[in-house]
Amino acid sequence: VIAALLLLVPLLTAALLAFAPRAAIHRPLAIAGALATFVLALAAEGASVAFDWIPALGVGFALEASGASLVLVRVAAAVMIVTVAWALARVDDRPHHVAAWLLATLAGLIGIFTARDLLLFYVWWELTLLPALVLLGGWGLARRRAAVVKYLTYAVAGSFAMLVSVLAIRPLSGAADYGFEALLAAAPSLDPLAQTWLFAGFAFAFAVKLPIFPLHAWLIDVHEQNHPSGVADVAGTLYKVGGFGLFAWAIPLLPAGAAAFAPIGLAFGAFTAILGALIAVRQLHLKRLLAYASLSHMGVVAVGLFSLQPAGMAGAMALLAAQMVTTGGLFLVSGMLHDRRGTFEVAAYGGLARSAPFFSGFALLLLFASVGVPGLANFPGEFLALLGAYAASPAAAVVAVGAVIAAGAMAVNLNARVFQGPAEGGVADAKPLEIGVLAPLLVLTLWLGVAPAAGLAAIEAQVVASGPSVVGAIGGGR
Amino acid sequence: VNPWSDPVAWAALAPVVALVGALVNAFFGRRLQEPLPGLIASTAVAIGFVLSVVAFVALQGRGAGVTLTLWPFFAFGFDTSIGVAIDALTAIFLLLITGVGLLIHVYSIEYMRDDPGNARYFSLLNLFVAAMLILVLADSLVLLFVGWEGVGVASYLLISFWNETKANADAGRKAFIVNRIGDAGFLLATFLVAATFQTLTISDVNAVASTFAYGAGVLTTIGVLYLIAAAGKSAQAPLHVWLPDAMAGPTPVSALIHAATMVTAGIYLIARLSPLYAQTPDASAVVAWVGIATALIAAVAALAQTDVKKILAYSTISQLGLMFVAVGVGAYAAAVFHVFTHAFFKALLFLAAGSVIHGLHGEQDVRRMGGLGRLMPRTGRSALIGTLAIAGVPLLAGFFSKEAIFGGIWNSTLAEDHGSRALFVLALLVAGMTALYMFRWYHRVFCGAPRASASVLARVHESPSAMTVPLLILAGASIVAGYVGLPAFAFPNAIKAFLAPALASVPTLHPPLWVEWLLVALSVAVATGGLALGWWIYHRGAGRLAARWGEGGGGRFARAGLGFDALYRVAVVTPVEGVAAGMAVADRDLLDRSLASSVTAAVWIGRLIALWQSGFVRRYALATFLAVAALVAAAAFMGGSA
Repeated sequence: VIAALLLLVPLLTAALLAFAPRAAIHRPLAIAGALATFVLALAAEGASVAFDWIPALGVGFALEASGASLVLVRVAAAVMIVTVAWALARVDDRPHHVAAWLLATLAGLIGIFTARDLLLFYVWWELTLLPALVLLGGWGLARRRAAVVKYLTYAVAGSFAMLVSVLAIRPLSGAADYGFEALLAAAPSLDPLAQTWLFAGFAFAFAVKLPIFPLHAWLIDVHEQNHPSGVADVAGTLYKVGGFGLFAWAIPLLPAGAAAFAPIGLAFGAFTAILGALIAVRQLHLKRLLAYASLSHMGVVAVGLFSLQPAGMAGAMALLAAQMVTTGGLFLVSGMLHDRRGTFEVAAYGGLARSAPFFSGFALLLLFASVGVPGLANFPGEFLALLGAYAASPAAAVVAVGAVIAAGAMAVNLNARVFQGPAEGGVADAKPLEIGVLAPLLVLTLWLGVAPAAGLAAIEAQVVASGPSVVGAIGGGR
Repeated sequence: VNPWSDPVAWAALAPVVALVGALVNAFFGRRLQEPLPGLIASTAVAIGFVLSVVAFVALQGRGAGVTLTLWPFFAFGFDTSIGVAIDALTAIFLLLITGVGLLIHVYSIEYMRDDPGNARYFSLLNLFVAAMLILVLADSLVLLFVGWEGVGVASYLLISFWNETKANADAGRKAFIVNRIGDAGFLLATFLVAATFQTLTISDVNAVASTFAYGAGVLTTIGVLYLIAAAGKSAQAPLHVWLPDAMAGPTPVSALIHAATMVTAGIYLIARLSPLYAQTPDASAVVAWVGIATALIAAVAALAQTDVKKILAYSTISQLGLMFVAVGVGAYAAAVFHVFTHAFFKALLFLAAGSVIHGLHGEQDVRRMGGLGRLMPRTGRSALIGTLAIAGVPLLAGFFSKEAIFGGIWNSTLAEDHGSRALFVLALLVAGMTALYMFRWYHRVFCGAPRASASVLARVHESPSAMTVPLLILAGASIVAGYVGLPAFAFPNAIKAFLAPALASVPTLHPPLWVEWLLVALSVAVATGGLALGWWIYHRGAGRLAARWGEGGGGRFARAGLGFDALYRVAVVTPVEGVAAGMAVADRDLLDRSLASSVTAAVWIGRLIALWQSGFVRRYALATFLAVAALVAAAAFMGGSA
């Protein structure tokens, strides 16, 4: 029941918001919906739902909240609370609709993360694109149309490739239905060539969605053109589900295919990590900078996954969860900066630490967390992802670790340009609402950095549950 | 048994107290009257000092250290917990960090008086102490890395403390980026450790490493990778370039972080992993030779600097180089001993420099100093003791610790086949140069006729006692600290005996007693020789010879740090910036355009979409609908046949 509620509460709240007549109830309704979702997520340990959906096709409506899925759901739900609150405060044009679409995104994400049926997963995968496009198209900046078309082009191309694999995997493997267990029992014994082709379909879609080089161009434009408050960027950051698709579906079901693709994945992942970080070092547009930094993280996620090592795969999922908080938080910070100076051009800032010490301190903490400073959120995931990558390919790890250096340079350059230097005119320090939005994220950042063990253990359990085939594919592993 | 009943374990609370101090000042410091932020910060460190003393006393006479597992961190084939391990090595560092740290906190109360960032300063200083304490308390390489990067972040924020000036912000950035290069080495080394030993707990790594074959290739690789990390943090060539620039920070920061504590983290790391390094003569030799090369380079550069702090910065790099030689030849206790004595006299020298800068209202150029010994008598006398101590004058602290290093090099079995004799000769040369450049430093600042302008001289004053009392305490320590490590061949050596359970013991050669005494005599000779040469050049010759050299090409080259910065600009920074720029252009103009606008499929889909006139939402809804319809149709077809 909880699993169903987890999905229904944000969806129903979104629907109510869209049609709620009085503005006064928008805020309490939206925040209550987000909070309730989060509380449900906390209580959802092991919750599941399963019934036949389209029995003729062997499609079930099966959800289960456990392992990495639950960790991602919880973190996404937590981040969404403050994002919804921030959206209602900072968006002028139909804020309740933005909040509704944010909650719809959350519902879609919960569907993606908890689906235990491949077709159901695919349906959620597709449906969740809708709010992302609406938020961009409805509330974006002047050149949003081009960004929407580009996003849609990439996403649809990826989706069709995946659809072919989704449809083909069951008949080819002879699985009883599209449920995860049935597929896991049958698909890994497919012959390697078939696995490789099926994996290729999944990998293309997931690589677009991660994204990794050279399929990432949509990401940069989407972030640049999103609403300046940054709320849509947070939704986009939570929606970085390509890595999860590899982790939960493609790699366990098609271990031989994964093994065949691993060298390519490691190479492109490592290159993506260093490319994103290096470009971010010299970016002067705040949102494009964050988009490239985020791209760099996705490169690390990719090398962790394609290491096919339990530590690397789990690290990749932990990094996905952590970057929801840190990258998401930085996008909100970018919105708060925009509130102060009305632009995302870094050149317009400088010396903010003087007039806004608390705001700058909060931002700096998120920035350092996002570049993997230990003790903060991103480090455990990044460390384990790179550790796994090193075990699989020291060369890929060396390149990806180069991104760690570049990311550090990015952080201190950004700090120097925005918060340090001579202060030209003061700005307001953190306002109560901003503190209310950022403080929970900071607590989460510290929590994920200092005590990641519980989340990692849950993720590891999922690796092990779907793991024999993974480890078997690479001849032992650690 | 409750592990907290052991007083040694209480030291684990020291970083917590320092963190609390940092948080209090971060959140409430701006509302507090001076000197409250400084007092809060000093109290936090004082508590840490008391806990460290307790731990030190309670550890006496015990072989093994104390380990304490606090909470799980991660587990993948191996368990990694947040835990502390306190042994003799940790205890020495705890005492140094909190003891010297306390003096520098107290000194800072006066030095940072009326600075608008007073509370931020003390918050960061406490944050630094907390990170450094975590570094030395950690029982695993992961937690050690938390402290390792933590001190890097705190150091970065303190170097760029006065960041309205771009040069200061740039100095901080440089320090952070160069440190991150070292950190990358740390990460790679740690990954290889995990793959090799299936654990990241330091004691387990050491235990297993000592069972490996002597000279095993994997140990050498690990050793060299950790050397990269150590070189970044401890400013060893070629990663030393950040430390001279780091002098942009407030002078007490230079004393605490960039002389006494953080920069010794690299030596701590190698000493902590000494059982591993003792098994790999090749990696150890690389450590030693990197150390001696750095020591020489920095000593030459120190001779030509004109900034009162940069002379000391290069001196620090040079002394750290000697410590690297010591750990490289397996004389781990000697290296830690030199860390110990160096912390006192180098902190003293920096604080004396700070007192001078304070007295001269910001002047840092030694060409506009001179004659200050009469105007600032307490500062001058303390600085003299520090100068003599670092120069290696007999019976002062530096003499004993350097002698221990020389003996360690000469008697090394680890470096026997890797040029230990050459290392010895070069180390003596470095010691002589140390005496020379330190004589120059002292003479230029405190002796001769004043060269400052009359208006500055009129306002010169001795610093208040909050600043001079720490100087006097450190001066006392610079005199007596050496007696814990008398030459081991003839006298009781307390520090070596105390450290023995925590360090690998490498067999040493045992030359005849007269050779040992000859080494001592040589050590005395180079120290006095260096000072005498300094007296001849700078006092008797009034520096004319040095001035000729200093104005020539050689002097300019040395003043510019032997061209490392210029080399890096040409060979590293510009190419990387070029690659980054190229990537950005390629990403935007080639990849994006080609994929998004000229790939046929994209154009085709784009046109198809453009056919629908109304809002994009409807288009997408239609597309999704078509996709799902196709899916259902296809599934029905395939499902039926399966």
